[in-house]
Amino acid sequence: MKRRHVLLGAASLLTSAALLTGCGTGPATTPSAQSGDASGTVTFWSSLAGMDKVAERFNASQDKIKVTFETIPNGGNGGYAKLSTAITAGNGPDVSTVEYAQLPQFVSNGQVVPLDGYIDKASTVDKLSDQVRGLVQFDGKSYGLPYDAAPMIMWYRKDLLDKAGAEVPKTWEEFEAAGKKLKAVSPKSYLASFYPNEPTLMAALSWQAGAKWFSTEGDSWKLGLKDDATKKVSSFWQRMIDEKIVKVEQAFSDEWSADLANGTLGGVLGANWSATGIQKRTEAAGQKGKWIAAEAPNWGTPAGAFYGGSSFNITKSSKNPAAAAKFIAFLATSPEAIAARGNTGSAFLAYPGLTKEARKAFDAGYFGNDIYGVFDKAYATILPGWQWGPNWDVTNTALKDSFGALTTGGKIDAALDSSSDATLSGFKQSGLSVKD
Amino acid sequence: MARKTRSTSGTGGRTAALFLVPFFGVFAVAMVAPVVYSLVLSFYAQQKSGLGFGGTKTAFVGLDNYVQVFQSETFTGGLGRLALYCLIYIPCMVGGAVAFALLLDATVARARKLFQLLVFLPHAVPGVIAALIWAYLYTPGVSPLVQALQGGGIQLNFLDAHLVLPSIVNIAVWEWTGYNVIILFTALQSVPREILEAARVDGAGEIRAALSIKFPLILPALSVIILFTVIGTLQLFTEPSIISKATASVTSTWVPNLWAYDAAFNRHNLNQAAAASIIIALLAAGLSLAVTRFSSRMNKA
Repeated sequence: MKRRHVLLGAASLLTSAALLTGCGTGPATTPSAQSGDASGTVTFWSSLAGMDKVAERFNASQDKIKVTFETIPNGGNGGYAKLSTAITAGNGPDVSTVEYAQLPQFVSNGQVVPLDGYIDKASTVDKLSDQVRGLVQFDGKSYGLPYDAAPMIMWYRKDLLDKAGAEVPKTWEEFEAAGKKLKAVSPKSYLASFYPNEPTLMAALSWQAGAKWFSTEGDSWKLGLKDDATKKVSSFWQRMIDEKIVKVEQAFSDEWSADLANGTLGGVLGANWSATGIQKRTEAAGQKGKWIAAEAPNWGTPAGAFYGGSSFNITKSSKNPAAAAKFIAFLATSPEAIAARGNTGSAFLAYPGLTKEARKAFDAGYFGNDIYGVFDKAYATILPGWQWGPNWDVTNTALKDSFGALTTGGKIDAALDSSSDATLSGFKQSGLSVKD
Repeated sequence: MARKTRSTSGTGGRTAALFLVPFFGVFAVAMVAPVVYSLVLSFYAQQKSGLGFGGTKTAFVGLDNYVQVFQSETFTGGLGRLALYCLIYIPCMVGGAVAFALLLDATVARARKLFQLLVFLPHAVPGVIAALIWAYLYTPGVSPLVQALQGGGIQLNFLDAHLVLPSIVNIAVWEWTGYNVIILFTALQSVPREILEAARVDGAGEIRAALSIKFPLILPALSVIILFTVIGTLQLFTEPSIISKATASVTSTWVPNLWAYDAAFNRHNLNQAAAASIIIALLAAGLSLAVTRFSSRMNKA
């Protein structure tokens, strides 16, 4: 009895020790000089539709590197939890797909490795616009190749605007006026929704107004969730909610889908990628040709922001970073990769010259205007200088949670305040330096 | 006789060990090791510095993680919410189960088998599916239920911050009452019929027999049910996490288990998540002990 006890204890200690060391070590990734003869197998995780076909195309295009693709859930459905846990445990993929907002977090947790030394910078990162490059470079190193650059776009039901006698709003002031006109014609409808579950949209709206939620001063972070530009945005949206021009509802929920299909919603604030979502939810209701894309309203001078977008990265658990880098370069810069993806969505790409391929691949016949023309215009006005913090999920969760009270008397302003506090304490808990 | 026992106990011990090894093997790997590992994790923290891009180092921090968990308003708030949940859920579910079981057992009950099946049916629906179905029934603009209520002039949003807790309690009651009815009904079947007959001879009606004889005799089964329910509610996770897709009223840290999940997978703080999990496990152990103590005293009395 006693011996078994000892054995049991020893066994459990051994197992836990093995687990501990298993998490502590990853393959040492010392960037070798860029090698032209990278070969071997590469695993690739993504939640983007059509990426299986892109991997197939890459495999067919050469015979040195074999890519194995695996679909994972998107970030909102646990994709990042899966990715981050797998990398920490040492069995993550070679190539990951991470959105810009989450990338600094993966970098600061040491879960993705710098691409410098593996990729040819002159033909990749150096060709990007400053706005996009700033989203994947930290401390002078590049941690991902950007895939899409997603400008914030406002989608409208043109027929409903016409019926209400409203023009497509150019400014937020006109947006409010159009909302009032729409309400006058049909009191139960709304011009847009405020999504408690999409704080990145609140970030994009603030970005567009000139806010900087995260910035660095020397070796410290500075938070701006309470800056003047954000206050302006939050009081505007609060008024839109109070005047019932905007409906508070979860994005991508059944409620939202129903409101789109039955015409309760006259518009969707989203991005270029919203097209398929809108089409899927409204096609059966016979709304073909009624939806148009427009630049998001602004504060007087044309200004835009990114809402979403992903980058491809090499993870710390990659055993073949050289081959992974070759594949990433193909994913992010090759027209072939874009064409292979097929008609999966209205992508707008960061690498110059690729968007025309995406435009060819996407069937935009459902929409009533030249949506890619609108994307181009919106992309041209993106404000530079926005940066995501190293702990976005803390802010994201805090905002999501406090926005939950909006339907029962909560205020956007209070939500921003409490989320700012939560972010600050999150920074401090992980030892980051932050200026109050 | 005595000699015989001794001789068998020699080989019996070895045989017993042989049979026990698989259990303890799995137990060690699936239970002891993770617990030990969580304990170890909970005393460390990943420390960053400056902007955070210079890598992390693991430092021993003693009880810091536990202090942080208890200092977190969202964690203590979640505990409070869970307590409120228990306060509504346990009386509703247990009371309902007792009432149904007594009704089924009443001699006048008709179509007993059919009702037994009907009552049990919701439990046959997996928890995730049940939550999805109810999320649909609660969502305004989609739900026929909400629409019917509106037609009757009742404006209710089951998913707003005020009503979401009772709404989730309702899912659990729907799911678990039937299961517990079956347990209680089985206990009722084992109540000696002579006692009931004697009571009837003494002039006790159905209600009197149910309250004064059957109910006290199923108290042991009842205390088992309460024990399992208490432990079960501490693990509340599935229903709120599904419902949170339909409404923002269910926050990511709504109950302690969600808090731990959020810490591990949203905030990437495995150490804090480990500390929270240990706290939840200790709470479950403490509560189970309290319930068993209490019920054994009640059964003796």
